[in-house]
Amino acid sequence: MSKLKVAFQLNDKDVALSVDPNDTLLDVLRGQLNLTGTKKGCGKGECGACTVILDGEAVNACLIPIMKVMGRSVQTIEGIGDEKNLHPLQEAFIDKGAIQCGYCTPGMIMSSKALLDKTKSPTQSEIREAIAGNICRCTGYVKIEEAVQAAAEKMRDS
Amino acid sequence: MKEYQVVGKSVRRLDALEKATGMGTFTTDLALPGMLYAKVLRSPHAHARIVKIDTGRAEQLPGVEAVACFKNTTRVKFNHSATMTFTVPPMEAVLDECIYDDVVRYVGDEVAAVAAVSERIAEEALALIDVEYELLPAVFDPVKAMEPDAPDIHIKKAGCFLCGKNIPGEKIHLALGNVEEGFKESDVIIEETFYLPVQKQAQLETQAALATVSNNGDITVWSTTQTPHPTRQILSHIFQIPQSKIRVLNPPYIGGGFGVRIGLSAKAEPIAVDLAMKTKKPVKIVYDRKEDFTSTDTRHSGIVTVKLGAKKDGTFQALQLKGLLNTGAYCSFGAETIGVLGAMGLSVYRAPHMLYTGNSVYTNITPAGAFRGFGNPQAMFAIETVVDMMAERLGMDAKELRLKNIIKPGDPWILPYSCQSTGLAECIEKGAKEIGWERRGTLNKPGDTLRRGIGMAVGTHVSDAWPFCGDFSNAYVTIQADGSVHVASGVPDMGTGTRTTLGQFAAEVIGVGMEHVSVTIADTQSTPFDIGSHASRTCYVAGQAVMKAATEARGYALAYAANMLNEPLEDLTILDAVVFCRGDRKLTLAEVARHAHLHNEQFIGVGKVIPQNAPPWLAHFAEVEVDTETGQVRLLKMVAAHDVGKAINPVIVEGQLQGGVVQGMGYALSEEVIFDREGRSQHDAYHKYMLLTAEDMPEIKAIIVEAEDPTGPCGAKGVGETGQVATAPAIASAIYDAVGVRMKQLPMTEERVFQALQELQKR
Amino acid sequence: MLKDYLLPASVDEALQNLQAYSGKAAIIAGGTDIMVNMAEGKVSPEALIDISRIGEFKQIEEEGEFIKLGAGVTHTQAARSPLIREKALVLAQACREVGSLQIRNVGTLVGNVVSAQPAADAAVALVALEAIAEIADLQGKREEPVEELYAGIGACKVDCRSQLVTALRFKALSPNQGSAFKRLAKRKALALPMLNVAVVLSLKEGAFEWVRIVMAPVGPGPVRATASENILAGASVSPEIIEKAAAAAREQAAPRDSALRGSAAYRRDVLKVLVRRALQDAVSQAGGSL
Repeated sequence: MSKLKVAFQLNDKDVALSVDPNDTLLDVLRGQLNLTGTKKGCGKGECGACTVILDGEAVNACLIPIMKVMGRSVQTIEGIGDEKNLHPLQEAFIDKGAIQCGYCTPGMIMSSKALLDKTKSPTQSEIREAIAGNICRCTGYVKIEEAVQAAAEKMRDS
Repeated sequence: MKEYQVVGKSVRRLDALEKATGMGTFTTDLALPGMLYAKVLRSPHAHARIVKIDTGRAEQLPGVEAVACFKNTTRVKFNHSATMTFTVPPMEAVLDECIYDDVVRYVGDEVAAVAAVSERIAEEALALIDVEYELLPAVFDPVKAMEPDAPDIHIKKAGCFLCGKNIPGEKIHLALGNVEEGFKESDVIIEETFYLPVQKQAQLETQAALATVSNNGDITVWSTTQTPHPTRQILSHIFQIPQSKIRVLNPPYIGGGFGVRIGLSAKAEPIAVDLAMKTKKPVKIVYDRKEDFTSTDTRHSGIVTVKLGAKKDGTFQALQLKGLLNTGAYCSFGAETIGVLGAMGLSVYRAPHMLYTGNSVYTNITPAGAFRGFGNPQAMFAIETVVDMMAERLGMDAKELRLKNIIKPGDPWILPYSCQSTGLAECIEKGAKEIGWERRGTLNKPGDTLRRGIGMAVGTHVSDAWPFCGDFSNAYVTIQADGSVHVASGVPDMGTGTRTTLGQFAAEVIGVGMEHVSVTIADTQSTPFDIGSHASRTCYVAGQAVMKAATEARGYALAYAANMLNEPLEDLTILDAVVFCRGDRKLTLAEVARHAHLHNEQFIGVGKVIPQNAPPWLAHFAEVEVDTETGQVRLLKMVAAHDVGKAINPVIVEGQLQGGVVQGMGYALSEEVIFDREGRSQHDAYHKYMLLTAEDMPEIKAIIVEAEDPTGPCGAKGVGETGQVATAPAIASAIYDAVGVRMKQLPMTEERVFQALQELQKR
Repeated sequence: MLKDYLLPASVDEALQNLQAYSGKAAIIAGGTDIMVNMAEGKVSPEALIDISRIGEFKQIEEEGEFIKLGAGVTHTQAARSPLIREKALVLAQACREVGSLQIRNVGTLVGNVVSAQPAADAAVALVALEAIAEIADLQGKREEPVEELYAGIGACKVDCRSQLVTALRFKALSPNQGSAFKRLAKRKALALPMLNVAVVLSLKEGAFEWVRIVMAPVGPGPVRATASENILAGASVSPEIIEKAAAAAREQAAPRDSALRGSAAYRRDVLKVLVRRALQDAVSQAGGSL
């Protein structure tokens, strides 16, 4: 198998890897880098569980060939906050009960983050547009929407 | 009402932090050194005999370490659902499948599996397996499958119990009074037949398992199962290995379930174990999304007929229900679901005469099994639509007709346990107020093409699996040397908040804050036997077991403290992890526990519960807008008023209700798996199967009513499945209010509504 | 299996790359189609040539009376572009309907055209705008109407072994012109269209100057409702004529029965409604009254 070199920014750090060009960004994150926070739900861009932020925009990592990220900036759930320093979205998802099985959660949070990074006061329809590509089978989206609103409010205040 | 410290509070979920930060581990995330990846070759035919199978070329592909098929794999018969572990004699569990058989019975049935060093190589190897099939006649229609000349999908032999042509298990017969008499006494009789679709759980994490076999024969399986202990029993049966040598656990998170993995995660566990035994290496299998659609249990499609007789004043006199469920190629929970359909259908209303008859039937489609609601949504779409029709026929308000006839404690009913609580009337009144019921029938002007309507429906469910099968729970609660509390329960948390809820019970009983509590779940090695997470039972049954265990542990701690303080036991209490007695004498629980440990004692409580059962109740209301030119139904508002008994964690309960309602909305309007004439699924991907998205959501209002049940832990009842029991009929009722068509088939797609509108116009 | 992945910085370099692989390389822009096709084994190129780094491909520009979209313009860009929202609303509306935001953020309009799916939303709108595709190969550039690029379901006349669509161009709408996009789908996101209709029209003195109506999926590619267009051209604006034109679209369309999209009979009936509603919207946008 021929390997290619790829270099990109991952969660604000430079990474350089030797990769199989047949792998997707999702394959590399989960398989090679052990960043399993980004989930695989369908592998075809139909569920959003693998959503990451690529140069500021939400994308399905399962549809991004790894070489496509050459020189670009990728952000995953692992890069936005941890237990000591939660991102307001993570905090709001926890506090509002927006997490059930948790499998859609990282992708849902990344889609929401891509929105809030650009839109300080999103409307309901903007929030829904941002997360409509993220299937959640547990929550009915009610508490997720509440969490995104709450996080937006908190981010505005700080 | 009793005052609680932790129960009834929406404490932060114990799993939320890990999940929000991407640190929670799911089966699909696991990897072990030297691990192999398994892929499955699946049948392209709906019914065929494998005449020849040659795995030679696949075995020779570099990187392939084993290829399994019926020729080299155990053919012990089993049932992939947990039914085989808790079907109580004289009922017989239907054991009708093996890991790989020489006959395939649906498109997607397992033919062979490959273990290889990468998923890609395993996939490549599948293409190198040569299979020759002899096609057999197939049948997809449940009615035709029972006809004498239909092909036999299974033959009756030891383990595979048939009670009629292609009918697995038992025919169900439930009766109260004499329906024929009841109909004679009725002034109005309505009889209608309803058609229910295949609905798919479509949980986000597909079926998955990782198995290792040590060289002394011990087996460990991490998997997505909702029932680790029963899964271990099934694996022990298949591989003829003592249960004590098998460990099954969740890692600990499961990406949803909704019933699809009660028992095995389809065949993920046995496929992985078998290949691990063949290769002596860890083997991981993750179903891809298409496999998850085609080759894991679905909700039963079927046909339900309702005949309702009432007096002129609205009193129900007779209710007859007939059910036929298509259980697909293997029985799974087919024998139980058909029973629950009847039992739940006849448990909502009081009528002196009732009769239910029903059976499941094999066909050559994807097996149907457990899915949130378990037969109940099928029953209630039919019954509630007929009740709505009855109200109209009698000239009564549909809400008043229901209030007049719903079961009250003490009424005779069909179930072998008594109804000891109901908040249904309160659910109906509160829900009606929230939706604005009085506006019903007044929302449109003549000529409007967008027409609005309001509808309602009610229902009940269970709080555990008894009497449909065996049901019991055990739990350990231990107070550690530092006074912190550890709970061990065999139930998984597939996202329903089980871990948190069980922790709340322990914290409440012992008298500590949640920060002192940790909970181990879903591991056959470190938790006592439990039948698992299903039947809305974890809070109600496992919760009772934890309360009992906690009570016992607390008792030991108090007795020990009484001794330390030299005070009478009855004067002691624990609050906020401090043992208080009269006056200001106190010891922290940590001091007591440490002292005990230094004197060779730990406070261990064991809770064992054989549960009663208790009915949760629900009333759903819908407001819709129907586009009469396209047939499209837009949901404007859903109200779900639920009597859940005591809500142990209200935010978790609301989440269950909201999520359930949305699944019910999908069942009502868009979710359906159709099989073509060759038995191939037409909806085998997320872009084909119409789950609702965030942009499709109406306003959803969950209302909690707390009619506590004396049998429940702190008065709690089941909640997990109730959310979608009556959603579809409420929406159907709203559609009728909007445009005057009675939908008798689900889902009520734009095309079906459009056709119904055209037929209405023709009349 | 892929052996290489190329990131050319210019059109010329991309074309050289294509030639070097003599048919064994495929172009990737957003990748939302080709990645799925590769995963399903429908195509298996030896190399991918990623055109997303070609600078000029990201532009949306006004060139005289035309709007020009580079080959890298995504659905999100088009849906949110103030220029397109003002002067080609039908395209913004169509682009907003595709897949999900994640798909729209990477999927390109040119990709939507060259994938040649029968109901590609953006392509349907582009045909209604009479968009022209600029096609480059090593010999030079040529132009072809998007409408003419369809060679069957999923088949595009652009020879992807040697040619590259570099841009799309269409006339900006003037104030007396209007456009609208209507879509029937089973849900609001991540949904295949059961039907889509794009209308672009021009009004003059209370009458239809010209009308372009495109409907899909009722044929191998976007289909012009020519009978309806003819009925309207030159006619005074009235509800009756719109109804007549909508009915003609219903007669002309030949959708197929589909388990995913609905029966032919149903879709023909609803097509009429969508055409009428699209015409109504477009008329009011063009300043007409009904």
